[in-house]
Amino acid sequence: MGITVSGISKRFGAFTALGDIDLEARPGEFLALLGPSGSGKTTLLRIIAGLEFPDTGTVAFDGVDVTNQPITDRGVGFVFQQYALFRHMTVADNVAFGLTVRKRSTRPAKAEIARRVEELLDLVQLKDLGKRYPAQLSGGQRQRVALARALAVEPRILLLDEPFGALDAKVRKDLRRWLRELHDRMGLTSIFVTHDQEEALELADRVVVMDHGVIEQVSAPEAIYNDPASAFVFDFVGESNRLPVSVRGGRAHFGGHAFDVATDGTRDGDATLFFRPHDVEIVGAGAAALPAVVSLARPRGGGTRIEARIEGREAPLELDYTGDAPPRPGDRIGVRPLRARLFPAG
Amino acid sequence: MTATGASLGSTAIEGKLRSPARPYGKKRSIMPGFGITFGFTIFYLCLIVLVPLSAVFVRSAGLGPAHFVDVGFSARAMASYRLSFGAAAAAAAVNSVFGLLIAWVLVRYEFPGRRLVSAMVDLPFALPTAVAGIALTAIYAPNGWLGQYLEPLGMKVAYTPLGVVVALVFVGLPFVVRSVEPVLADLGHDVEEAAASLGAGRVDTFTRVILPAIGPALLTGFALAFARGVGEYGSVIFIAGNMPFVSEVSPLLIVTQLEQYDYAGATAIASVMLVASFALLLVINLIQIWSRKRMAA
Ligand SMILES: Nc1ncnc2c1ncn2[C@@H]1O[C@H](COP(=O)(O)OP(=O)(O)O)[C@@H](O)[C@H]1O
Ligand SMILES: [Mg+2]
Repeated sequence: MGITVSGISKRFGAFTALGDIDLEARPGEFLALLGPSGSGKTTLLRIIAGLEFPDTGTVAFDGVDVTNQPITDRGVGFVFQQYALFRHMTVADNVAFGLTVRKRSTRPAKAEIARRVEELLDLVQLKDLGKRYPAQLSGGQRQRVALARALAVEPRILLLDEPFGALDAKVRKDLRRWLRELHDRMGLTSIFVTHDQEEALELADRVVVMDHGVIEQVSAPEAIYNDPASAFVFDFVGESNRLPVSVRGGRAHFGGHAFDVATDGTRDGDATLFFRPHDVEIVGAGAAALPAVVSLARPRGGGTRIEARIEGREAPLELDYTGDAPPRPGDRIGVRPLRARLFPAG
Repeated sequence: MTATGASLGSTAIEGKLRSPARPYGKKRSIMPGFGITFGFTIFYLCLIVLVPLSAVFVRSAGLGPAHFVDVGFSARAMASYRLSFGAAAAAAAVNSVFGLLIAWVLVRYEFPGRRLVSAMVDLPFALPTAVAGIALTAIYAPNGWLGQYLEPLGMKVAYTPLGVVVALVFVGLPFVVRSVEPVLADLGHDVEEAAASLGAGRVDTFTRVILPAIGPALLTGFALAFARGVGEYGSVIFIAGNMPFVSEVSPLLIVTQLEQYDYAGATAIASVMLVASFALLLVINLIQIWSRKRMAA
């Protein structure tokens, strides 16, 4: 089921939580809302769910306007950040809830409900825990109960608010791969909120990067990483170095050194040069490159992470070196950024 | 719906399961000093509660069994028990409904004057009960502010058992509000939203999600309001009219005995009240333990 969000804005008092949001989720798509805390991700998700109502704009499911429909009628599955399980009900009763509150005419028979609950618990791999209470489960298990409960009403749309936020790293990795599988098998259209760029890039078909209540970029994960649309996106989705430069005659200048970079569209004047730690060439001192002094070198991954100080900049550069003879602290090196990006100074 | 082929890593499946609650005695506690605090608790309860109360029984024992039954279970005493316990239960029930409503409003809505309303709830705690009794009587007397409109409708409040209930509703209100309020605040909005997202209407959400969650706290409020009502004297005597067999509460009967220097008789009635109150509160407590156990392991 496709989701179309057009011209949504939302204010809380004088504070604009969302400004003029347009967004489309195609049927079957797995979309990530990525952004720092307070960027409006939850608010947008809640508006799509019908838990919050926008000041302007519309939400449509498969072209049908649902803006004024309450959540009860929208038929979406919503997984809350803190799971919001019913503490006084067993796991099985939690999962069955959506079925047992149906009107008598559409409510399945008791045996049928029990069978469905069994099936769902099996699906989320909690087969034998139906009789427990939520307080007797681990975080990852509660997460899956919340998911089973949301899926019980057979939603076409699944909305998840920081679904892995409260879990430890290993459980989180397992769970997200599994969630992706589930999404594909059940033919859902899903949107999940996260502030973890790795999670968004690994899991989603497309990533929606948000900041201060506006969408900065909507792209496939590779494009988000390799072709960020703004300085904010570049910085947020990966490690980055930034250099204040001035652009003149198609080149970027920093303290007497000039770089060849794609200046497309950047007007002459002040700008910020961004490059990732692994997108550099480290050469000997004296070569035509930015001179730097290594202040720290330690192994990381397959190579060496280097921190190097340059003149005229307080924070050291973070660089990755993958060769056999990593420079040592105190060494003078030359740094040549590759695939650097220019964004207007801001 | 078919099971996915993907499987969760072992950590996720096995995930640390908390073992079912063990009896306290077998669990090593990180909190030291159980012996001391428990000992002090018992000592303190003895000093403050048990000793004075046992004095009541000792005193009444002087009557001898036959006389004890004569006084403690006389027709007039029985009528007063019925009124005291009945009115207290009715008032606690009324307070459970409206106290919950007030707690709900105080927790869920931000409105001008919220603190003022909140402070008003505590007034019955602070007010000398006699003041409350006099004020209520003035309002509900046949020629009072409200009484004059109720009288033509055939509703008599002052000087009837109904008046007793009204007085007990007044003094018992804070107990329910203050018991329920923190639990309601802690319940959070998201379980309600979860229920709504699963298609539950307001009624289902209230009866199946909210009420069970705050049930134990509501029961506590009920028990406190009830207990207070059973023992209430000051506010009741003004509005009740105090007709023997009709609107005479047990505490008043006790005072009446005392005024006639019949101390043993007074303690006999007090003993019966004590035992009955204790039994009822014990039952309420057991229900609570049972319902709590289902929620948090
Ligand atoms: N009910 C509300 N009342 C007032 N401010 C709110 C409310 N909900 C969210 N906000 C504000 O809106 C902003 C965006 O919140 P949210 O959507 O929760 O961000 P995110 O999920 O990206 O962290 C935050 O600054 C938050 O304080
Ligand atoms: Mg959020």
